[in-house]
Amino acid sequence: MSPETILAELQRSQLEADTRRQFLKTCATGLGGFFLGDQLASAAAGTPNHSPGNPLSLSATHHNPKVKRVIYLHMIGAPSQLELFDYKPELERLDGKPCPQEFLEGKRFAFIQGTPNMMGPQAKFSQHGNSGAWISERLPHLASHADDLCFIKTMQTDQFNHGPAQLMVHTGHAQMGYPSTGSWVTWGMGTENRDLPGFMVLLSGGRLPRVGKALWSSGFLPSVYQGVQCRSTGDPVLNVSNPAGSSREIRRTALDALNRMNQKTHEEFGDPETLTRIAQYEMAFRMQTAVPEVMSIKDEPQHIHEMYGTEPGKESFANNCLLARRLAEQGVRYIQLFDWGWDSHGASKGEALNAGFLDKCKQVDRPISALLTDLKQRGMLEDTLVVWSGEFGRTPMRENRGGQEMALKGRDHNPGAFTLWMAGAGVKPGFTHGETDPIGYSAALNPVPLNDFHATLLHLLGFDHKHLAVPFQGLQQKLTGVNPARVVEGVLA
Amino acid sequence: MSRILTVIALYLATQTAGANDPVSFARDIRPLLNAKCTGCHGGVKQAGGVSFVYEDQVINFAGDSGNPVVKPGDAEASELFVRVTLPADDSDRMPPADEHPEGLTEHEIQLVKRWINEGAKWSGHWSFEKPTRPDIPVLSEASAPKTGIDAFVLSRLEKDNLSPSPPAKGGRFLRRLSLDLTGLPPTLEELDAFETAYRSDPDAAVAEAVDDLLSRPTFGEKWATMWLDLVRYADSRGLGQDGKRTIWPYRDWVVDAFNEDMPFDQFTIRQIAGDLLPNATISDLIATAAHRNTQTNNEGGTDDEEFRTEAVIDRVNTTWQTWGSITYGCVQCHDHPYEAFRHHEYYEFLAFFNNTADSDLNNDAPLLHVPNNRADYSKARDLDRKIKKLHDEIWKTGNEAAAAAEWKPLPLTHAASSNHTKLEKKEGNGQTLFYTVGTVQRGPDYDLHSEFPADAAPLTGLRLTVLPKDSGKALKDSEWGFEISDLSAATVDLSSPEGKEKPIEFALSIADVPHLPHDPLSVIEPSGKGFEAWSRIHHARSIVLIPKEPLAVAGQRLKIRISNKGYLLGAFPLVVQKGYFETSSDPSLTTFAKSEDQRKKRADLKTKIASRKAIPATAIPVMAERPSSIARPTHVFARGNFLEKDKAVSAGVPASLPPIDSPGPTRLDMAKWWVSEEHPLTSRVFVNRIWEQLFGTGLVATLEDFGSSGEKPSHPALLDYLAVRFRDDHGWSMKKIVRDIVVSSTYRQQAHASEELTARDPNNRLLARGPRGRLSGETLRDQALAISGLLSEKTGGAPVHPPIPDGVWKPFQSGDKWETPGTGKEDRYRRSLYTYIKRSIPYPTFATFDAPSREFCNPRRLVSNTPLQALTMLNDEAFAEAAAGLARRMKYKTEGTISEKVATGYRIATAREPDQARLDELVGLFDKLEAQYRSKPELHKGMAGTADGAAFTIVAQVILNLDEVLTK
Repeated sequence: MSPETILAELQRSQLEADTRRQFLKTCATGLGGFFLGDQLASAAAGTPNHSPGNPLSLSATHHNPKVKRVIYLHMIGAPSQLELFDYKPELERLDGKPCPQEFLEGKRFAFIQGTPNMMGPQAKFSQHGNSGAWISERLPHLASHADDLCFIKTMQTDQFNHGPAQLMVHTGHAQMGYPSTGSWVTWGMGTENRDLPGFMVLLSGGRLPRVGKALWSSGFLPSVYQGVQCRSTGDPVLNVSNPAGSSREIRRTALDALNRMNQKTHEEFGDPETLTRIAQYEMAFRMQTAVPEVMSIKDEPQHIHEMYGTEPGKESFANNCLLARRLAEQGVRYIQLFDWGWDSHGASKGEALNAGFLDKCKQVDRPISALLTDLKQRGMLEDTLVVWSGEFGRTPMRENRGGQEMALKGRDHNPGAFTLWMAGAGVKPGFTHGETDPIGYSAALNPVPLNDFHATLLHLLGFDHKHLAVPFQGLQQKLTGVNPARVVEGVLA
Repeated sequence: MSRILTVIALYLATQTAGANDPVSFARDIRPLLNAKCTGCHGGVKQAGGVSFVYEDQVINFAGDSGNPVVKPGDAEASELFVRVTLPADDSDRMPPADEHPEGLTEHEIQLVKRWINEGAKWSGHWSFEKPTRPDIPVLSEASAPKTGIDAFVLSRLEKDNLSPSPPAKGGRFLRRLSLDLTGLPPTLEELDAFETAYRSDPDAAVAEAVDDLLSRPTFGEKWATMWLDLVRYADSRGLGQDGKRTIWPYRDWVVDAFNEDMPFDQFTIRQIAGDLLPNATISDLIATAAHRNTQTNNEGGTDDEEFRTEAVIDRVNTTWQTWGSITYGCVQCHDHPYEAFRHHEYYEFLAFFNNTADSDLNNDAPLLHVPNNRADYSKARDLDRKIKKLHDEIWKTGNEAAAAAEWKPLPLTHAASSNHTKLEKKEGNGQTLFYTVGTVQRGPDYDLHSEFPADAAPLTGLRLTVLPKDSGKALKDSEWGFEISDLSAATVDLSSPEGKEKPIEFALSIADVPHLPHDPLSVIEPSGKGFEAWSRIHHARSIVLIPKEPLAVAGQRLKIRISNKGYLLGAFPLVVQKGYFETSSDPSLTTFAKSEDQRKKRADLKTKIASRKAIPATAIPVMAERPSSIARPTHVFARGNFLEKDKAVSAGVPASLPPIDSPGPTRLDMAKWWVSEEHPLTSRVFVNRIWEQLFGTGLVATLEDFGSSGEKPSHPALLDYLAVRFRDDHGWSMKKIVRDIVVSSTYRQQAHASEELTARDPNNRLLARGPRGRLSGETLRDQALAISGLLSEKTGGAPVHPPIPDGVWKPFQSGDKWETPGTGKEDRYRRSLYTYIKRSIPYPTFATFDAPSREFCNPRRLVSNTPLQALTMLNDEAFAEAAAGLARRMKYKTEGTISEKVATGYRIATAREPDQARLDELVGLFDKLEAQYRSKPELHKGMAGTADGAAFTIVAQVILNLDEVLTK
């Protein structure tokens, strides 16, 4: 059966369903027999309305979104804000002095013991652009984009261990099992490209995030909204290539037979899910060409490769930045990148501020800057939002694991303040929101808890965070959780 | 997609009150209050002091306005009625127009008025009232219901002028039944036999098939999965590291329990409190691993007490969800927004679980060594009992001896630490306290000295008491504990202080509590292990050391060394923070240490421990209670924050449910309470879960919520009928209640839906047709293996590692290997139930088909329909292997023409003969492909050796992907 007939069939059954709903609604007011649950009525305001058989079809948002797609760059391990963006001359003066007791009392640390010493910034800072943003020498390329960036210096979380803190950033909850931002967004508004998933995830290689797939899970939303992990080696998406012996032509022949037989099944049993299934098999077939196509960067021009520092066929953050642009171009709604190795405790060379951290900065500086340049040149920064963050900040004290000074330099976890920046649609360029105390330990002015950030992100995407909700286990579940959250008006353009 | 919301939100209500019927609070008024009032006047917000959740905050209760909210019998004098009837523009009108622009309808206002005037009778939510046996509806003769279930369903259909569907035909029905009862499709032989029997006597054929399937070991394998979703079973620990956890004997216990038809009350009691049963068996202890499926966090720098608390909270929430379908988690932070559960009641319930010995330790302690051979269970258990008895006696006699002796404080002259940890001493209450100052470094040795006068009596005992830093506070907020790896002492003559130290030889050490992780004797042996409060300390702890012979200490310096080598998670030092010593000169201690009885008991203990260790076993985490002398107190957490402890509470159940009779109830009492005759929830909740497994939707569609924000039952009387039958008539037999349902005409109906029926009842809530729905990922894989002839029948044992796509397995801990057995090896083809379940890397096929990753209790699986599912079914290695297997069955194992071979392949997968059109389609496909492969042999390289083999493989793939194969 041709896709047109399927579509027509689906539209008809949706129409019927709508009429039915209308009928039931009318009944609720007096006829008795059936009525619509109040939950539906209250959820209706926020509930997406996808076309039947296509849960990823476009759905209207609560208000007009400024942002059409998101590219989120998460530096797993929590990069030190004190070496990158949050310049603290006062901390420089305190360098090497014992930490005052008042900073330690009532605090819980992962590794710091006894009385640690304060540690000044381990990089030189200077001001950049017309906005005069302080950016350290670690990120010279990104510094040239100072006037594109919108910093929040006072991000806060309530988790000080990596696993739960990463979950907080991406699902708004510290436990596994909740939908991630990308799932909420694709559930809420669908996606523009019917040949690709709406929410795609790219990892730089190396270690996987410790809570794994939970960071891009759809939680209690249907699994069609979960992030689809794309890989640089092997199949770009799991099972996207045919097994040996099954060419694309043979697959088409087989699918045609399958669709015809399933159509008969639908005629026999009258189950609308059968029609949806036919549509999903067709999308799978389209994905089999669309995914490898979009994931292949080798045909990009040389100057693009040079700008990003990409090497086709390798697992790297640089490749993923270029892929992010390509996916964004194709209308993928939410593109999530994870880089790794940012946990600079100083306990090993790879994770020390005066060793591995320098390499990590070099690895991401050029690609991020290239991504911003590339998006801008293509006019895509107008409706794309790029977000960069870790999962918490790092302490102004030098880590002293086991109560002793360590050979390498590092900082412990600090949930009290960290830096996040955004660039692109909907946010003020060349702007800084919030201010930390003189040592960068906690938020002094305009703290932004993660759930306020989530409310803001949803706002930019056209949603009122209070109404993007689904009833589950007795609660109207939301990305922003049960506690009140507010949109950070200050950063909105 | 809006399907899930529709399922959640669209429900069939029972009829509202007619003009002459009395108004029912539960049916007519409470839903109204929940929809329009409790948002502001509920459990969380109680505007004006009014809460429509609680009777005593409504009936004859004067809110801030001073008038009774409801005065029974007098609507005009009731503030509730007055407020809802005010003019629309009055600012006092309820509900406020900005929150509820739709307000109350005239009909609703009349209901409120009538309810008040009829006496304002208050009653609990329907699911909080005990189910009673309803009368079976009497129907017209034409309907002729076969079973009680059918009578309820038909009576509802009659009301709606709907007719039931005819029964599903032979083979198709057997497929449904087999998949539902065993998770596997019927074989060709079973189909033939059933169809023959069905033709002569359908009812007898069904009954026989049901009994046969219920008696197969595959029944437990199928039904275990729904239970394992609830108790969040996984083979990994979750959170930070998600390392491997060995707990599979519990999974096998669940399978066995279903297969043995363990009554659900026993099933419940053993899992919640099997360890507290008198004469608990090894099996009873394995059952308690249900609540050791909680996550532990082994990430460096995590606080064990925080994650122990998380685990306890999870046990509370999982228990309420699993047995009660109640979202008790809400009450952790505040009164329940719409159920009658108070904030403090959450912590009263939590107290049942708060004194278990586990504490988020890396080794998952306490562990039970489950014998690998079941024949060893009773021998092992017997040894465990004897070992425990000996331990207890040794501990008891030791403590009695220590208590009988006279003790006096030991003044200290010197207290120092070997590293940055600062140790100081001070005098107080006649003794010298030593304690740390500031934060501590890990691994210090403490040197503590005391000098004895020339007339000092010989020393026969030394007692160390370790205190929390802040004893008052530690009872509520425990501190990090300590681990004394070694405790040694020596004497030096004071008159020649440079003289040689004489080490003291100790005979015995006696700890204050029995059953510590290590034998207290190890503290006086150079073992590196010893006496501990691991990993938290609430109470003062003490240990007594008895020298081999009375020690002449007169004029001597006593030098004591405490070695604190313990630490946890790379960060937290487990060191003694505060303590004092006492000494004794009582000769009774020496006599005790030398007594023959002690020597014999200790020797006996050693032998028994060795015999137990000789039994090959697998260690799994289980529940165990801490000794009452060091019981953890439970406090309310202010706003649910474990760092903010409010008033202390003791164990109990919420007042809105039946009470537990015994005073000072235990975890065992609580377990029995769930399955007591008075409990309104448990039997309803479980029959509803069974119903959902069989029909795809529960009688209460919100499996996770029987509370007032959940859906009402579509067939309330049927739910109660099944609940009472399950509990009373069948004595909680799970197999009997399943049998009742699957032999009913309701279940046996065919699944065909006419356009009219789809339009009137899209989700089949009225049950005018049989169930139809997509199979789970696990069942799809098992079915494919069965169809292809590859499935292994091996049951139980350690988890297996079937093929997994390249690049998926990248565990955070690299030691956790995924090694797939080669083609043809049995463990490659085991039932999906036995696949290794790692929470952070769910097996892709299962996750793609909506299996939960088992972090928390998962009461209901959503069913989605996605392109990734198509890619899995078409391209995944396991399904490609299955297609090849089915192709072989068609090509080699079936006699006849291509058409006959293909027809058999179709029947193997669908349990019916193809009609002509379908057969033409498949044969046409085969011919076309075979010609293609024959003309280009390079095309089938890597799939099949011959062109027809390749064509059969693709035909098999199409068959495996048919909608009627993916659904039941």
